[in-house]
Amino acid sequence: MLEILFICLGVLVLGYFLIYNSLVGKKNDVEKAFASIDTLLKKRYDLIPNLVATVKQYAEHESSTLEEITALRAKAISGNVSSEEAVNLNNQLTQSLGGLMVAVEAYPDLKANENFLQLQRSLNETEEQISASRRAFNAAVTDYNNAVEMVPSNMVAQMMNYQRKTLFEIPEAERKNVDVGELFDK
Amino acid sequence: MESLRAELLPHLEDFEAWRKRCVRNFAISIFVIIPLLVAALILIHRSNPEDMDVYWFPVVIGGMLIGGAYYVTTRDYRSSFKRKIIRPVIESYLEEIDYAPKEWISRHKYEESKIFLRWPDRYKGEDYIWGKKGKTDFEFSELHTQYKKTTRTKNGTRTTYHTIFKGVFFIADFHKDFKGRTLVLPDTVEGLLGKFGQMLQDVNFTRPDLVKLEDPEFEDAFCVYSEDQVEARYILSTSLMRRILDYKEKFGNKIYLSFYQSRVYIALACRRNRFEARVFSSVTQPGLLKEYLADLELILDIIDDLNLNLRIWSKE
Repeated sequence: MLEILFICLGVLVLGYFLIYNSLVGKKNDVEKAFASIDTLLKKRYDLIPNLVATVKQYAEHESSTLEEITALRAKAISGNVSSEEAVNLNNQLTQSLGGLMVAVEAYPDLKANENFLQLQRSLNETEEQISASRRAFNAAVTDYNNAVEMVPSNMVAQMMNYQRKTLFEIPEAERKNVDVGELFDK
Repeated sequence: MESLRAELLPHLEDFEAWRKRCVRNFAISIFVIIPLLVAALILIHRSNPEDMDVYWFPVVIGGMLIGGAYYVTTRDYRSSFKRKIIRPVIESYLEEIDYAPKEWISRHKYEESKIFLRWPDRYKGEDYIWGKKGKTDFEFSELHTQYKKTTRTKNGTRTTYHTIFKGVFFIADFHKDFKGRTLVLPDTVEGLLGKFGQMLQDVNFTRPDLVKLEDPEFEDAFCVYSEDQVEARYILSTSLMRRILDYKEKFGNKIYLSFYQSRVYIALACRRNRFEARVFSSVTQPGLLKEYLADLELILDIIDDLNLNLRIWSKE
């Protein structure tokens, strides 16, 4: 009788450890995914000065957009912004860059510039990678949230004081950008 | 197409005459083999054998003789047809395209894709086609890979070969740069077992990490593994997922994809043998050349259907 009790207890303890570890793993996956968004956003910040400098030479009428982009970038990399603000700034940045890429269609000289074309390609690539990293983040959060809310892992999650995390909302403007990207090639 | 047909028509007529000779020779050999087979069966029956398995001997040998007779009587006709008819048809489709009927995708590339993990004991193929469509380099061929299985029987051991993959193996340049490996395989488990199936896929140690994607229809049809979660989503954009689903619908059979070092490897499973000369029906029928073109088109459509010519990223 006592043996059965010990076996049951053993199974319970083992189960607890397994669920505990899997929850920690899922939380770390979310953090890793968040860090990868950060890395890619930095990659985009690095592209902006070159892009602005190149566009400036050809497209004088776009100076207000360029200034806006420069200001947004400066604010985003300044370091003293909350994560919510950072998300907002980056959404605005995406929108302004998207707008700029449509506006440059009116400057044939710029569009023939090899340097600009290369920058445009890198920008497209980075935008797509940012969107991929957000999707990866959302997948990791969904996985984590499921574990936090589903039986039996929710009981362990409660003991560990793990809360639900919120998903990244992909702004409307960004979804439209995909179409803009396809426009360039035609 | 019409001008090509007009150009090839004299050849087609020659081949039609050759084909009829082949069929006649094959029929003659059958008329020789069948009576021999019957005679052998009668002889065995007369000797009242104890073991009923003995009856199989002449049947198996007869079958092999018929197969051999078909091969010998039609071999030259079939290979000549490929060179003189199928090659110009294929070469008329694109500017940069080449055809080698007796070559196939290298074993190294097949293994590098890691789509099929089982070691092939037999690896053969034919109809190797390569070239460039738009900005995209491509190559493909028919492939048949098999593994060996040895079983013990009362008379010793018996070796049988089982198919790993049979169909068209296609490799193209992908339009985005990436380093790791991402696999998109037909989903056999999740469709049946749902969430529990997904848990099983998650603990599959022979593959990299499972990637859970947003598109439910895609998730039902495929199971995605990748070495990098972000890279997998960079490759499988929401639009590419839809495109893969649409192509799968069009192709109508299982498809396997592997993305590795900026290339996409696609295994299209099918039983039918493409780009073959007809032996038992006329080669002068009007629709024949179009059929060869349609077979080629269905495979090369992958490039446009997956939008591989869209080059708006760093890779040119």
